[in-house]
Amino acid sequence: MHSHAIVIPTRDKLFNMGEFFRMSPGNIITAILLGIGLILTIMRFTMGIGAVSNLSDNQPWGMWIGFDLLCGVCLAAGGYFTTVACYVMGMKHFHSAVRPAVTTAFLGYLFVVIALLYDLGHPLRLPYMFFFPGTTSVLFEVGLCVATYLTVLFVEFSVAPMEWLAQKFPFLLQWRKFINKCTIILTIFGVTLSTLHQSSLGSLYLIAPGKLHPLWYSAFMPMFFFVSSMAAGGSMVIFEGMFAHKGVHHYMDSTHLREADEVVFSFAKAVSLILFGYFLLKLTDMFVQDNMHHLLSGYGAWWLVEMFGFVLLPCLLYAKGSRERNIKLCRFAAANTVIGIVLNRFNVSMIAFNYALPSSERYFPHIMEIFISMFVVTMIVTAYRFIVYHMPVLYEHPDFKDAH
Amino acid sequence: MNRRKFLTILGTAGVASAMSTARVAEAGGGVHMFPYWENSYGVLHDTTRCIGCRRCEEGCNKVNNLPKPKKPFADLTVCNTRRRTSAYEWTVVNKYSVDGKPVFRKLQCFHCNDPACAAACFAKCFSKNADGSVTYDGTQCVGCRYCMIACPFYMPGFQYDEAFDPLVQKCTFCAPRLKEGKLPGCVEACPMDALTFGRRSDLIKLARARIKDHPDKYLDYIYGEWDAGGTAWMVLGPKASTPPPAGSHGDGEMKALGLDTQIGNRPVAELTYGALGAVPMIVAFWPVLFGGAYAMTKRKEAIHKAEQEAVEKQAKDDVTTALDAAVRKIEETQGQPAADAARKAMTEALKSREALDSCHASSDHGEGK
Amino acid sequence: MKNGTTLLLLAALVLAGAACLTFWEGGSVTATAASLEATDSGAPSAMVIFPVGEKANPAGAGLKPVAFNHLVHEKRVEDCASCHHTGDTVSCTTCHTVSGSADGKFVTLAEAMHSPRIAKRPEGTNTPQSCVSCHAQRLRERDCAGCHAIVKPARDESWCVTCHNVDVTAEQRRQGSEGTLAPEENEALAAKAVEAKKTATPLSPAKGPLKVTIDAISQQYEPNVFAHRRHMSSLMEAIKDDKLAQAFHTRPETLCAACHHNSPMSSTPPACGNCHKPNIDPAHPERPHLKAAYHLQCMGCHAGMNVARPVNTSCVSCHKERAPQR
Repeated sequence: MHSHAIVIPTRDKLFNMGEFFRMSPGNIITAILLGIGLILTIMRFTMGIGAVSNLSDNQPWGMWIGFDLLCGVCLAAGGYFTTVACYVMGMKHFHSAVRPAVTTAFLGYLFVVIALLYDLGHPLRLPYMFFFPGTTSVLFEVGLCVATYLTVLFVEFSVAPMEWLAQKFPFLLQWRKFINKCTIILTIFGVTLSTLHQSSLGSLYLIAPGKLHPLWYSAFMPMFFFVSSMAAGGSMVIFEGMFAHKGVHHYMDSTHLREADEVVFSFAKAVSLILFGYFLLKLTDMFVQDNMHHLLSGYGAWWLVEMFGFVLLPCLLYAKGSRERNIKLCRFAAANTVIGIVLNRFNVSMIAFNYALPSSERYFPHIMEIFISMFVVTMIVTAYRFIVYHMPVLYEHPDFKDAH
Repeated sequence: MNRRKFLTILGTAGVASAMSTARVAEAGGGVHMFPYWENSYGVLHDTTRCIGCRRCEEGCNKVNNLPKPKKPFADLTVCNTRRRTSAYEWTVVNKYSVDGKPVFRKLQCFHCNDPACAAACFAKCFSKNADGSVTYDGTQCVGCRYCMIACPFYMPGFQYDEAFDPLVQKCTFCAPRLKEGKLPGCVEACPMDALTFGRRSDLIKLARARIKDHPDKYLDYIYGEWDAGGTAWMVLGPKASTPPPAGSHGDGEMKALGLDTQIGNRPVAELTYGALGAVPMIVAFWPVLFGGAYAMTKRKEAIHKAEQEAVEKQAKDDVTTALDAAVRKIEETQGQPAADAARKAMTEALKSREALDSCHASSDHGEGK
Repeated sequence: MKNGTTLLLLAALVLAGAACLTFWEGGSVTATAASLEATDSGAPSAMVIFPVGEKANPAGAGLKPVAFNHLVHEKRVEDCASCHHTGDTVSCTTCHTVSGSADGKFVTLAEAMHSPRIAKRPEGTNTPQSCVSCHAQRLRERDCAGCHAIVKPARDESWCVTCHNVDVTAEQRRQGSEGTLAPEENEALAAKAVEAKKTATPLSPAKGPLKVTIDAISQQYEPNVFAHRRHMSSLMEAIKDDKLAQAFHTRPETLCAACHHNSPMSSTPPACGNCHKPNIDPAHPERPHLKAAYHLQCMGCHAGMNVARPVNTSCVSCHKERAPQR
């Protein structure tokens, strides 16, 4: 196999940290953001939430929930989307996309939980929800599902670190063998949990009908969130693939490279369909709820921007891109979708939330809040890089060829 | 001191009897109801009586040992700005305008019959008590603030300035005082009887009587009787001579007081019950659905493989037959040794081709169509 | 004999007197009618409103008919159409009969006279008024609104007979109900009732205390000294010429009952604290506690009469801050 010099850690040289210490712009920005993040973290945990955020009694959930939690979970949907396509639907040519997707999903969820610790007043009490379960709460369902799914993702993902560490600790191979046998069970378990909590993130806002603008509030919010998470999952695989090709291209093996384009076109087609379905759902809901008259207001215009500019437009671009096998167009559509999903979550959690309050009581995130969110994203990217530099994610480990 | 003693005796008797006779009301028609205490207490806020003196705020601040505000309670200009309750101000009085005349309304936790905060809390911090109060236990609070999202009245406040033990804070209905047989601090402080404490059922009758006696003075709407599924604290509003334009009955007038009549007459938490009810369905059905899809995929693959094998076998058989026929022909025309040599050569050629094929197949792995 | 002559003389005198009385009474009918001031409109100064109806003895016939003082009311309204809402100056009973008629859109006489709130008619049309609704409007004017913002007139028997006050014979009632009573006789009856109406002389402010010190619950503030007499006389002054007040304030103590409400009327009413306890009485949560009772009464009246000062929230305007005690 023509390996273009992928650095594969060996028994003697288990670490490959050189990449982090090169003076590249990426590394410098990463270092700066991590530095700021550390300072803000210290501030947050010694001076209180109020010291670093604009959160208020009217807007108890802001940037950290709107972006880190809602978007984080949604954009990590690539994990279940890809595994289901590959293992359940038997689309074996997605196989090389599974590991990167599972890796990002795992990191996404892990850092959702980490980001959540910033937002919680009592982060150390997070496990209390299992001791005093408030079963009438949607948040309980979300918490339970995210916790379980994070475990599932960890197990699914653990194969990669096992292959890495097995160089030194061969007994880990037993674990790897066991996990590989459970793949399909884990996949089905994962998609069930994902369905539950992706939709539950929408259900969270069902309890606030008076606060969320009627164009976004709907009894079907759980469904909207779930359907859009599928689109987000597919798009995220394409979107982060684009960056991976730029940044860590030299860690991809030929199989990955050969299959990558096919993955993009297949996903583009699927996401195009899903987005179209989502568009119809939202449109129908708008008519059924008799919200036509709201379209003439400012929020109505904003809603139209979201629906046409960030749902219908990427849907059409995807369709065109997959038909013409235009990888650039597909990638553009993926970015468009990802921004659209973020926009939607921002609308629900911040922009159209508390729409009836006077502007003086409305919320705009504090710069430090934004920096903390950026810090979390930087941590994800750094962790992703660490994983890619060390573990067989973008390539197949020569010792485990054709093991699947 | 006399007054306190008097209240203590009366109130204790009242609360004690409420506790002993309180029971979960039979929910009509099998509709889900949060335990709703029949004999629970409530407070009726008559905004036509309120003069905006902020004595209730002062009383609340005193009995709950809240931090002193920046502006003294005697400064009544603060009522002119729109305020809301916070972690350190559990009740505030705001000024509104009806018919060009000022109307004051006190804001505090409404103590819903079926509180959204309690339904939303995932660590069971809130409880609706037999005396009508909705209380909060901060010792198990995770600080997620979902209760604040859920509350349709924007009531709970959070201690954002507290680094190590930030908690949600809201009016407690002076539950500890009720237990001692005392009135809530604000009610006791009200010099106008704009806050009337009593059993919720009595208060509704009282409010109806006031509306009936002064139809020109009161709006025919008891806010909180049904809103959000019913609340322990209720509000009477003044009637406007020219009702503000609004949809249905009383909406405009109540809106002028900052009260939302569109919350509906069912507890808002019920809006999430449909979604929560779907959880077991998904848990039960999704594995079946995806397991089925997986089985179908497997079966398709198996069939495909069998077909492939059959085709391959057929091809092999064909080759063998052809080879045999060719060898026989050679044997007929050129004799035994030539035939043997030819067979050997042809078998070897086939073998090398197969090896090449299988090599191709392995490199095509993953793209199997 | 002498006795007999005396007796005869006496009898003759009695007869003559009786005859004279009868004649005088009969003759006085027109005389009294003429004694009432004439109206500007030319309508009779007063007339009796009979329960006109098809049935011989309609419901509500138990009450006496009403003497309507056209003169007094005419002076108080803008034009005839204020009451004659169709623009036609006919008697109310022409259309509004006891059981209602098509002409009166089946609005019964009782409704037309008593309906408390009448829905506003569209712009450009005259919204009719009943006696009761028109009087209620008057009560919202400044002079009346103080007391009437807090006191609702009791709708008891004495309220009814304020208007239902004409003594008629069964024959006159029958004729009146059929509409066959001669107009002169009707006006005579009305004039008699109007003349006979007595107005109560209100209690003199001097009868009440000059000042009342309210100190039952004073804690934070010094006791309030309420200028009882000044308040009483200013209220009386304001309505002393008001015909409506005179007609309905039927007892000398009526005005007192505005504040001294709910107890039987008396020139020596019980103190507020008799019913209003310092704390809410759990048996009567609807009854304000004493402090609130005072405040509601004072501020309610002041608000009704648009008394700008003292401001409700200015505590020290009425009671001085008490020096802090050791």
